[in-house]
Amino acid sequence: MGDELDISKLLRQRRFIEPPPEYFDKFLRDFRRRQRAELIQRSAWEIFWDRIASVAPHFRVPQYAYAVIAVMAASASTFILTRPAPVTNQVAVAEAPATFSLTSPKPVTIGDTRAVSTRPTGPLPSHYVLPSRPVSNEQPLSF
Amino acid sequence: MDDAPEIPDEELVARTQAGDPDAFDELVLRYSKRLYGLIYNMTSNHEDTNDLLQEVFAKAYRSIKGFQRKSSFYTWLHSIAVNMTINFLKKRGRRQSTSIDDEEAGLQFDKEFLEATEGSDPRREANLSELQQRLNEALQKLSHEHRAVVTMFDIQGMPHAEIAKILRVSEGTVRSRLFYAHRQLQNYLEEFIKQ
Repeated sequence: MGDELDISKLLRQRRFIEPPPEYFDKFLRDFRRRQRAELIQRSAWEIFWDRIASVAPHFRVPQYAYAVIAVMAASASTFILTRPAPVTNQVAVAEAPATFSLTSPKPVTIGDTRAVSTRPTGPLPSHYVLPSRPVSNEQPLSF
Repeated sequence: MDDAPEIPDEELVARTQAGDPDAFDELVLRYSKRLYGLIYNMTSNHEDTNDLLQEVFAKAYRSIKGFQRKSSFYTWLHSIAVNMTINFLKKRGRRQSTSIDDEEAGLQFDKEFLEATEGSDPRREANLSELQQRLNEALQKLSHEHRAVVTMFDIQGMPHAEIAKILRVSEGTVRSRLFYAHRQLQNYLEEFIKQ
């Protein structure tokens, strides 16, 4: 090859570089010690996560499943964003008298309780007069 | 060398998965030397290599329950090592970490290499040593991905197909990365050779 340098041959020589022979025995001892230390220090969550991470790449998910999930997610978000605002009865509630409540400690007064004579003069509010006793299908009480 | 036949990786993996930690120790002993070479040639730092090697085996041990033997244990373990080393190198960024040279770290060429170079003249030996140092510097200038390919193919002698599986790229990509990396290394070392 003349002047041309044989890179492959030079690189092959690097195959022979290695640490002293005792290194690998020490390495194994260190590895065992480290494993034990790691087992003690690691939380249950970390151990669980490692298990999941090691198994997850082997899950076989069909390719179309990702497409289905994506379409479903897109449909759901479109529905949420475009649906009309729900009709509420907030106005009616707001206008209702706040005084009426079944649990209110104050007695509830319906209508005008003042004596007629003390009421301010003026046209009386419209009222109805019953022409006779109200009709009842009940039998009159007899003792 | 023991006369007893070597227990196959598959059996050791199955025993580890069944909860036998000694079986995993056997796998550590079997692969630590090879993985050391892989990581060291990518990081060029003994301390980083030692730490990474520990982490690689720790991760492999934690994940071995999920290993479904679709590839060989060898390929799976090398994938972990290469990915962790590349991630480490990306984090390390441009921090210079080649200050520890091979002698300081207690690294040495093994018996086979010493026998092969024995008897050569001292000048040639010095040149070779310097050339190796330059080569190491040149390797560090390659991108992490190119360095990984060169390390696995040229230094560790892995076939293209195996490297492609480990890196999850095509064989064509492996070949093109090798071609580019060799050309880069050639350029880096050319000046030294011409001297």
